[in-house]
Amino acid sequence: MPQRNIVYRHREAGRPLTDLSDYRRAGGYEGLRRALAEMDRDEAIYAFVRSALRGRGGAGFPMGRKAGFIPKESALPAYVVCNADESEPGTFKDREIMELNPFQLLEGVTIAGYAIGAARGYIYIRGEYEHQARVLDSAIAQARAAGMLGTGLMGSRFSFDITLYRGAGAYICGEETALLESLEGKRGQPRLKPPFPAVAGLYASPTLINNVETLATLPPIVENGADWYASIGTEKSTGTKVFSISGHVMRPGNYEIVMHDTTLRELVYDYAGGFRDGRDFMAAWIGGSSVNVVGEEALDTPLDYESLAEIGTSLGSAGCIVMDDSGSIVRSTLRLASFYRHESCGKCTPCREGTLWLERILQRIVDGHGRMEDLEEIERLADRIEGRVLCALADTGILPVRSAITRFREHFVRAIEEGGDPRPEPMMEVAVGG
Amino acid sequence: MSPDEIRAHIDPIRHEFAEQRSLILPALKFAQTEKGHLTQEDLAAVAEAVELSTAYVESVASFYDRLYLRPTGARVISVCVTLSCMLRGSDELLGHLCEREGLPHHGGTSEDGALTVQEAQCLGYCDRAPCLQVDAEETRGPVTLEAADELLEELRSAPRPERLWR
Repeated sequence: MPQRNIVYRHREAGRPLTDLSDYRRAGGYEGLRRALAEMDRDEAIYAFVRSALRGRGGAGFPMGRKAGFIPKESALPAYVVCNADESEPGTFKDREIMELNPFQLLEGVTIAGYAIGAARGYIYIRGEYEHQARVLDSAIAQARAAGMLGTGLMGSRFSFDITLYRGAGAYICGEETALLESLEGKRGQPRLKPPFPAVAGLYASPTLINNVETLATLPPIVENGADWYASIGTEKSTGTKVFSISGHVMRPGNYEIVMHDTTLRELVYDYAGGFRDGRDFMAAWIGGSSVNVVGEEALDTPLDYESLAEIGTSLGSAGCIVMDDSGSIVRSTLRLASFYRHESCGKCTPCREGTLWLERILQRIVDGHGRMEDLEEIERLADRIEGRVLCALADTGILPVRSAITRFREHFVRAIEEGGDPRPEPMMEVAVGG
Repeated sequence: MSPDEIRAHIDPIRHEFAEQRSLILPALKFAQTEKGHLTQEDLAAVAEAVELSTAYVESVASFYDRLYLRPTGARVISVCVTLSCMLRGSDELLGHLCEREGLPHHGGTSEDGALTVQEAQCLGYCDRAPCLQVDAEETRGPVTLEAADELLEELRSAPRPERLWR
């Protein structure tokens, strides 16, 4: 179960790869060179398909299939859009790519652009990542100066450029159609689908939109071959996945691991150093917060898409938040409910109103004014939200609430019966990044 | 900020977008760097620079957390309060900063106008919890209560940055 750095090339190199010359010395741009010299567009897309790479932003949709949806002939120009709006609670894997290995992302965006016949790509980065945006600004300038972006890349006939676009603080802009709205200079509110972005995305043009980690995986796939990539991991969960782990663990950080090779227990105890003396595992939100929370029964589950789906949760963005038995599941659930209430864009009534009511009911349980019927009321509210909204925010935002009440029901019952949920002492030991 | 200054900022990137409405966010973010928030005059100047109505520009600006339509302190401290940070003491950190600055529990602007303290949702530095961000500087963490005291002193004694990127 060793770590394997395919996306995190900078860790393999042992230093930040923020200078183009360093990135090239570490094998960078070999993937793009091969794509331009040896592949036509169809062959590039076929390589993505054969790699079985799945989207790393949270939904896990097969990347090659998504690229294949882009129409071959279109009166409008095609675009690549990179979703760098990393805002899912507990998720900080893309931050490290942009900060320490930015060229691998630029190379991936360029390869994707070549495959779909685009002349421009956009990287939409969350406004809070201004530091990372400046690293990317420098990387883009270096790539342009060296002919890795611009007209006739690397001596080929392919021309491509990348625009970095800064968001201004809105979780919802990580939803792909809300991101496109924001990039078009509008309020970042999701669109009704269909049409999907592949058909009518940015400026109503065919648009391939993928997460940072997904796109940064393309260079090694093209360089080493789709079969090589597909041989890592399992049939349905190929390759490696970066897990961000945080919360009550001793060594929070990013760990790139081979799919299926590592269990949750190994991630928590071996990589992240387990817990303080006298503390034990209580709960984990493995795929960011928009998933079903799990308890100790999940510890021996291998970390991959299908194994996590089998136990009723999901890999999501792989932002794994872990809580030990000093924490309060009731207060944690309330905190997440507050997050979704704050981030609801307000377009769909069930989400705008429903997330507010979920928060209020959980707040009164925490404050000692809860009633036993509240647990059923939460269930009814969740039912009235589910499937009645345009995007995944509330549809998945109800998951950590509903699952907490199912899996840890006795904690909520105790808070209602005993007049509230006392605030626990937080872990004040200083974190050491992994 | 004047429409000309905003135009000078966005003109070099105008050709990168099929529709110039996309320039609204870059224009708003830049216009905000002068005062740290956007006045009606700023919104009108942005509207003129991107050739859209002031009402439309305001409707966009009002959507985003990091575009401020009301005055803030000279520097804005955003304390992440989402789950990973909560587990590692973000509520204590926020409470401490507010108490030191004489602010209500969930934040506000100090009497001397030097600092605004506000809650923020996940800043993506969960490995360095509890974390906080000053304006749009690189997020800091883990921030102990002692480090928070030093930060307040640092911000009060530092010269105001030339541009306030938020």
